Amino acid sequence: MSKSSRRLLGLLIFGALAAVWFYIAYRLWQTSVPDDLKQPSVDMSTLVSSSELNRAKHFSLVLDLFGLAGIFLPLLVLGLYAKWGHRFMRESAAGPIGTGMLLAMLGIAILWIAMLPSGLGALWWLRRYGIEKTGYADLVIGTWSVLGFEFLGICLTILIVMGFARLLGNNWWLAGAPVFVGIAILVTFVQPYGFGHPLVGHATLVQAEKRLAQKEGVKAVPLREIDVSATTTAPNAVAMGLGPSRRIGLFDTILDGRFSEPELESVVAHELAHHKHNDLWKGIGWYALFAFPIAFVIAQLTKRRGGMMVPLAVPLFLFAYVAIPTVLLPIDNAFSRRLEAEADWTALQATNDPQAAKALFVNFVQTTNQDPNPPFWDPILFGTHPTDQQRIAMVEAWQARNGG
Amino acid sequence: MDDLRRSRLTVFFRFLLCFPHLIWIYLWGALVGIVFILNWLVALVIGRPAKPFQRFNAAFLRYTTTVIAYLFLIANPFPGFAGEPGSYPIELEVPTTPEKQNRLKTFFRLLLIYPALLVAGALLYVTYFVTFLAWWAAMITGRMPRGFRDLGANAIRYIQQCYAYFLLVTGSYPCASPYVGMELGTLVVEAPTAAAEAPAVAEAPVEPEAPEAPSET
Repeated sequence: MSKSSRRLLGLLIFGALAAVWFYIAYRLWQTSVPDDLKQPSVDMSTLVSSSELNRAKHFSLVLDLFGLAGIFLPLLVLGLYAKWGHRFMRESAAGPIGTGMLLAMLGIAILWIAMLPSGLGALWWLRRYGIEKTGYADLVIGTWSVLGFEFLGICLTILIVMGFARLLGNNWWLAGAPVFVGIAILVTFVQPYGFGHPLVGHATLVQAEKRLAQKEGVKAVPLREIDVSATTTAPNAVAMGLGPSRRIGLFDTILDGRFSEPELESVVAHELAHHKHNDLWKGIGWYALFAFPIAFVIAQLTKRRGGMMVPLAVPLFLFAYVAIPTVLLPIDNAFSRRLEAEADWTALQATNDPQAAKALFVNFVQTTNQDPNPPFWDPILFGTHPTDQQRIAMVEAWQARNGG
Repeated sequence: MDDLRRSRLTVFFRFLLCFPHLIWIYLWGALVGIVFILNWLVALVIGRPAKPFQRFNAAFLRYTTTVIAYLFLIANPFPGFAGEPGSYPIELEVPTTPEKQNRLKTFFRLLLIYPALLVAGALLYVTYFVTFLAWWAAMITGRMPRGFRDLGANAIRYIQQCYAYFLLVTGSYPCASPYVGMELGTLVVEAPTAAAEAPAVAEAPVEPEAPEAPSET
């Protein structure tokens, strides 16, 4: 086969793969929220007092600054580590993979040190507004302990990547990406078993969940209570698990009496909707969609350091491993917001109670201090959910359609 | 060679950096447990351990020696995962070929090891305390005090002798004295400048007239 024919064949294969990629992305992007839904503008001052709104704005703005540090500081630190980190190779008597693990762990350790001041600053701010109860020493010790598990995670990553690289050279990404997707599936599956305990003392809510599940056309899943009130006051709920491990986790901070029964039913309907629409599988699909190109790009980038066969490339790998997902953060957040908006919509269909939904989102503003209408860049960088104002607007749009 | 220099960064995170090794020790150790039972039965029948089991256990002992040395700041470089000989400043010399062992002693090995384990336990607590002090010293000066290093190396030597005896790698009972073992190459106390080059040995000096030569590491 001539060189030009090979190039043509390569282009055709690349084109076909790109077409498949875009088709899957398009399918995952679609939701059941009507495309022609017109969301009215909402005047939050009619729902929340101006002092609460000002407080939320002030709180969110400063918290966002710490959030920005959390995004850009790792890029700076790991960027420097990518340049200088190879010097730590002299601290190792291990083979290439062991040395790679050491370099990766040290990169994460340096990042932990660099992030500690902004972490403490964010904690100070959250404590000031009564959102967090964790002590400063607890934060340091807690994150230090978590660091051990992060070390294990990054070592496993390096073992997979360098192991395949030593077998397949720079084509390691072809085998590595499916393994990472497999790990994501496994983690999502087992996660519910490590969180919470059966929900007791909320018989009405359990009954309501069965009724809502029937309405949504999904099998009822066990409700679990997750104890976080010792460290935070922020209310939350999560849909967890896959297949038989599916659960709905309700933080004890949402069950502490600040939210009415109809509001809690809206929450449960929202989490059930995530299970109905297989959102956890969609999340894994989205991750898989990006895992291959990201791994490919990292393989190409690390070639200049000899490829992932040698530990010299690990600091650069670490930088790319953090930097590329950071660049993709706006797309990931947009995808997440679409799934959340769909869950809100499905929950409204199931509960048929827009007043409860609206009261819930107003209550969120009051209990979390989150700005209901933040600056445009905030949702791009941090918004995994629609803003509370957008969520209320959707409720009103639903009311307009359904005459609620 | 250990020049007593210690990287403050790796000293600060030393315990966490050992996490992957501790997981590996746990997994490998589970297999060693199974191998021990099989090896014990083999040793009772044929009067010596099986060769593959001997090599397997010897590699495990060499490996754990490097990890303990790293964890307790006795050595500076991050150890490898294979327990290969000649790969680390603090090294354990263990016989890779099985030697004849008394069947009666083999049968009662689990009981015989108890007194030595008591001494090993006491040494371990001493090592914890010394490591705590050494951690601060290394963080402040960037160096490991020689006395602490040598004390730790001798403690490891004895602890690993216990495990070697327990796992039937050797038939010689552990010996706690750092001086008696000198002929076998344990020079960490007597010759501190060459300490790093002189490996700690697992073999107890029960028969000093027939010592093993110290290996150059």
